[in-house]
Amino acid sequence: MTVHNIRVGESKRGDASDGTLAEAVGGRLSRVDGPAKITGAAKYAVEQQLEGLAYAVLVESTIASGKVRAIDTASAEASPGVLRVLTPDTIISLRTASDWLGTTPPDKPYCPLARDITFSGQHVAAVVAETFEQAVAAAALVNVSYDETPSIVDLSDGKAGDGIAIDAMTKEWGDAPAAFAAAPVRICAAYNTPREYQAPMEPHGLIARWEGDRLTVWEPSQWLDGMARTYAEWFEVPFENVRLVSPYIGGGFGSKALALSHGAVAASAAKMIGRPVKLVMTRPQTFTGYGGRAATRQTVTIGADRDGVIQSIVHRGVNETSIDGMWVEPLGSVTSIMYATPNFSSKQNVVRVNSVVPGAMRAPGENPSAFGIESAIDELAYEVGIDPLEIRLRNYAEQDPHAKKAWSTRQLREAFAAGAERFGWSRRSPKPRSMRDGNQLIGWGVAAGTYPVRRAYGEAVVRILADGSVEVESSSIDMGQGTYTILAQTAAETLGVPADDVVVKLGDSRFARAGVSGGSRLAGVMTGAVHKAATSALDQLVGLAISDPRSPFHALQANTLVVANGRIGSPRGDGPDVSIAELLKSVGRDRIEATGDTMPANSTAEDRYKNYTTIAMALPHTEGDYSRYSWCAHFIEVRVDEDFGTVRVSRVVSALDSGRLYNPKLAESQWKGGIIMGIGQALLEEGIMDRRHGRIVNNNLADYLVPTNADIPDIEVISVGIPDPHSSALGGKGVGELGIVGVAPAIANAVFHATGKRVRDLPITLEKLI
Amino acid sequence: MTKIPVHLDINGRHHELQIEPRVTLLDALRERLGLTGTKKGCDHGQCGACTVHIDGERVLACLTLAAQAEGRAITTIEGLAREGELHPVQAAFLERDAFQCGYCTPGQIMSAVACIREGHAGSDEEIREYMAGNLCRCGAYPHIVAAVRQAAQEFAS
Amino acid sequence: MRDFSYLRATSTDAARQAAALPGAMLLAGGTTLIDLAKCGVAEPDTLVDITHLKGLDRIAVDERGATIGALARMGHVADHADIKSRFPAISEALWQAASAQIRNMATIGGNLMQRTRCPYFRDPANFAACNKRVSGSGCSAIGGVTRGHAVLGTSEACIAMYPGDLATALVAFDATVHLGERKLLVDDFFLLPGTTPDREHAIEPGEMITAIAIPGSAAARRSTYLKIRDRQSYEFAAASAAVGIEFEADGRTIRDLRVALGGVATKPWRVRAVEDALKGKVLEPETVRAASLLAVEGAVDHGANHYKIELAPRVVARAILKLGETA
Ligand SMILES: Cc1cc2nc3c(=O)[nH]c(=O)nc-3n(C[C@H](O)[C@H](O)[C@H](O)COP(=O)(O)OP(=O)(O)OC[C@H]3O[C@@H](n4cnc5c(N)ncnc54)[C@H](O)[C@@H]3O)c2cc1C
Ligand code: SF4
Ligand code: FES
Ligand code: FES
Repeated sequence: MTVHNIRVGESKRGDASDGTLAEAVGGRLSRVDGPAKITGAAKYAVEQQLEGLAYAVLVESTIASGKVRAIDTASAEASPGVLRVLTPDTIISLRTASDWLGTTPPDKPYCPLARDITFSGQHVAAVVAETFEQAVAAAALVNVSYDETPSIVDLSDGKAGDGIAIDAMTKEWGDAPAAFAAAPVRICAAYNTPREYQAPMEPHGLIARWEGDRLTVWEPSQWLDGMARTYAEWFEVPFENVRLVSPYIGGGFGSKALALSHGAVAASAAKMIGRPVKLVMTRPQTFTGYGGRAATRQTVTIGADRDGVIQSIVHRGVNETSIDGMWVEPLGSVTSIMYATPNFSSKQNVVRVNSVVPGAMRAPGENPSAFGIESAIDELAYEVGIDPLEIRLRNYAEQDPHAKKAWSTRQLREAFAAGAERFGWSRRSPKPRSMRDGNQLIGWGVAAGTYPVRRAYGEAVVRILADGSVEVESSSIDMGQGTYTILAQTAAETLGVPADDVVVKLGDSRFARAGVSGGSRLAGVMTGAVHKAATSALDQLVGLAISDPRSPFHALQANTLVVANGRIGSPRGDGPDVSIAELLKSVGRDRIEATGDTMPANSTAEDRYKNYTTIAMALPHTEGDYSRYSWCAHFIEVRVDEDFGTVRVSRVVSALDSGRLYNPKLAESQWKGGIIMGIGQALLEEGIMDRRHGRIVNNNLADYLVPTNADIPDIEVISVGIPDPHSSALGGKGVGELGIVGVAPAIANAVFHATGKRVRDLPITLEKLI
Repeated sequence: MTKIPVHLDINGRHHELQIEPRVTLLDALRERLGLTGTKKGCDHGQCGACTVHIDGERVLACLTLAAQAEGRAITTIEGLAREGELHPVQAAFLERDAFQCGYCTPGQIMSAVACIREGHAGSDEEIREYMAGNLCRCGAYPHIVAAVRQAAQEFAS
Repeated sequence: MRDFSYLRATSTDAARQAAALPGAMLLAGGTTLIDLAKCGVAEPDTLVDITHLKGLDRIAVDERGATIGALARMGHVADHADIKSRFPAISEALWQAASAQIRNMATIGGNLMQRTRCPYFRDPANFAACNKRVSGSGCSAIGGVTRGHAVLGTSEACIAMYPGDLATALVAFDATVHLGERKLLVDDFFLLPGTTPDREHAIEPGEMITAIAIPGSAAARRSTYLKIRDRQSYEFAAASAAVGIEFEADGRTIRDLRVALGGVATKPWRVRAVEDALKGKVLEPETVRAASLLAVEGAVDHGANHYKIELAPRVVARAILKLGETA
């Protein structure tokens, strides 16, 4: 077992931009975990090599609603290599765990294998065998019979009804219906998004190992402490007894933040057979083993005057949730803040259907919300004959129209200007179907996006070791955002050491605590914590140098010293100049260690536990005097074949405001990744339901289409952010979720410009245009 | 079914396994030999994460039986760097930030090395098409194209 | 995957004999067979690996035509200089299929034998009814998700689409399949589902594809394969057309024309009606578009696949017109 431990390598690690040193915060340092990833040395969670490992494979329900009548395990049990077959009757009993808010759970047992079936693909049994092949073969022999009952397939099912009103989602000011009725220009349209799936390339899975009542779980995780809490509660062991290890995560996009039922099955199996157990979902299982983005429906009505100035927005949204779980995809989130309007009303319902409970997927809420409002304003632009960019500027919200607070920073106008300039927007011919190249209709579309700055607390340990090298430890994670790298940069800059000398260790719940890595909050939180810990380590170091009688600086009677490039000296340059290692040696210390956290000063241990294992203590983005968001504008060119209806994105220019970038090289990658996922969402991605079986039939990567390299043009991203001191300690805002928001409407708008057809149902597949 | 002896030549080293015939090359690498650099994303030929070279050509380890690969030279991501020197394609991936989570990356790199060798890296368009068999959900595609282009130019000169 | 034994064939005859035994199957590139074994669709007792056989991967091309060994791999055939120059449609059908990795594994013989991508066919654990898997069990697709299913050549028993690209090009150019001594036109090699969708090819137990032969022709030389799909690459066709054309000396009048459709039918679909309608005519966009509508004569949709009926003629027309442009 190894925890992540990679030294920031030699040279040629990144390029300097605008004079910023690659290693400094804001520099373009290459990924410090890169060498491990490109050589195959990086061991992901389920790749640990353990003695005595057994393999578990899940058996899933083939009906969407009903009860398990019987499970015949005889032939599976007789199959070669089988160690145990787990069913609801034979699996050990667990306790129900609290949810991610930390709400006290009902005092009742929890069984991760279902007797009552509420969706197709629910885990009903599991087979544990000596080898993977044996487990797979035996799982196919488990024979489950059911008593089937009618299911509610999806939002359009006649039995679905209007659902449950979520009052907390209601946002209203002015008199929106009246203002709409009085408006000279009115548009009203319905926008739908289908079930979409995170589809990280690394499937979900884990290895669970018990040693007495201590459990170690190697599992890809966006939230070690939160998942450790769930496992501890399930198995009724102290939180400290559970260790989560997640050195690298092969993509999560929201889907790897919570301990899920397959984890409970694997950990139960490990306990039952007294051996470590590995369970990895098959790709089809990843479509039902946890939830993707809920299908959504929205109606957006806009009342405006003839100059396109908005008078009223009335918005109604619905998303699906499961029969016994609750997922709210906040559909009014962008609608309520993007444009200034004197009258506004947004309400939302959720509808129960026989599906796995939907979950977080890149920019939950903002993403579908933007599809609605950013399509609708485009429709308004054509209605009143105003350029789609101009109408956005005319309705620019100078402050948060909902919270009625000043923006902390909002570089959206700058984003529009920079993007339009680079894209050449002024050369756009306004009429639909007016630009073409042979058989291809060309369309240009624009849309804006936003994502709130989610803030929370974090903790980090910074250690200066005897050889002068530095260690940073935190139980936060890196799933590709670049946490390893930016924390190395932060520690290096704060301490005045080369980034090469910093080792960042993440992904082990034994390390200093961290909350969830989701909602693009991690970088802001953790750079703050590392900065604080490093500052305090530096203070200790300088303090020792000044005051310890054995220090070469003792005689100097200085009141401060500077540390740069790993060496300590006086600010004036007189006196001694020694390396950190030499200083530590002279004062007889083998290390300096400091913990930094960003919690309020008087926080109790209980506060800390709650903060790191639940999301209950996250800070509202409208706390205090400001409203904090990141912003972006996408300019997209599509080519639509007039005969075939195929849409290809041929050009993307996006300008984004994520505040200060800790590492532009890595931030640009994340933005582009979001944009690419947005292209998939706009053109390809959709869970396709067999309505008779209530089952998604394209549950694999050949049929659930995500973009390939050939679908993606070169993408230009422009940073227009400025440091935002209200959003984070070092001035950054969120990066990871922002890029996808607004892409789908920009493409839909471009398709309209190309073809004159408005597609309001994603994805925009060829049969909708043919 | 009885296990059979299978001799595999991987990255220039000889390995002997006793395995069932149904064991794929991918599971042999990952579960038996500790060579976990080759990734499993779908197990059905739909993602490219398991790309390795057999006799110098890129293939999918998830649809190849280990037994079929006997007598052939197998190269995995672990065997690409020589004497601690990164392969030029690896170096280009690092420099261009052609990955994020890194899970698709070994497959991308193995595919890219072959793509250049096949002569299918002549233009960005060609690179995109001939790298389309390697999905990347993090969306590193534009940077992958840049890395392959750069490495191809280095090879050419 | 059920367990099986593995046997490496040492000669073509040995392979044929071994594969004739009940429960035995030939294993070539494995990109269909291993995939389907993992799905629980193929349940072989013995796999007879033919990939180590020598001499079956030869590609020979001259004026009379091309002979391609059954073990030649898709990628090699696609990149073969003479195939590219004399049979562009074949090369294009191949390089637009699957991915570079799969094309390095997959053989020409195995390619012809690939099975449908019908999601119901591929998921026996969830969908018991499938006449192609189990004769008489019913068809789960009819009344279900049919976006990818065939509109031509369907029957009440099965509407599964034949997904291969290569065979579509082969059928356009009158290629033959060599089963050792026995030779069959590709068109005859593939069977319509009728009441026996489980029987897809006119191949008997103990037979093995040894090669395919494509007669050379002016139309093959001036040919193309146009494949339309949702995703730009790494996807089966929504509709595709293999087209070859030969003009009279005037460079405008069509002397010979070959048209076949992929992605829309239960087998590779030659459309002679379009060929006959255009032969002797001057290539004009309007004429071509009108004639191309004949490509889907008799097509029947099952709801979600209706678009294929609209799409296919447009693909045919575009392919023909494209070849005209390069005159
Ligand atoms: C993700 C994915 C995408 C794909 N996309 C495409 C695509 O876009 N277009 C396309 O055309 N194809 C596509 N394919 C299919 C692919 O081309 C076929 O799987 C491949 O050609 C099969 O060849 P193989 O050598 O691997 O056959 P195998 O899998 O080895 O064999 C297939 C079948 O043929 C039999 N067989 C093999 N050789 C012979 C022989 N010589 N004589 C008699 N029987 C034989 C076997 O017993 C078996 O039943 C795709 C496949 C995958 C997995
Ligand atoms: S269409 Fe054919 S292959 Fe598909 S379920 Fe029906 S019978 Fe089976
Ligand atoms: S794991 Fe082999 S292609 Fe996906
Ligand atoms: S880098 Fe994450 S999938 Fe490609």
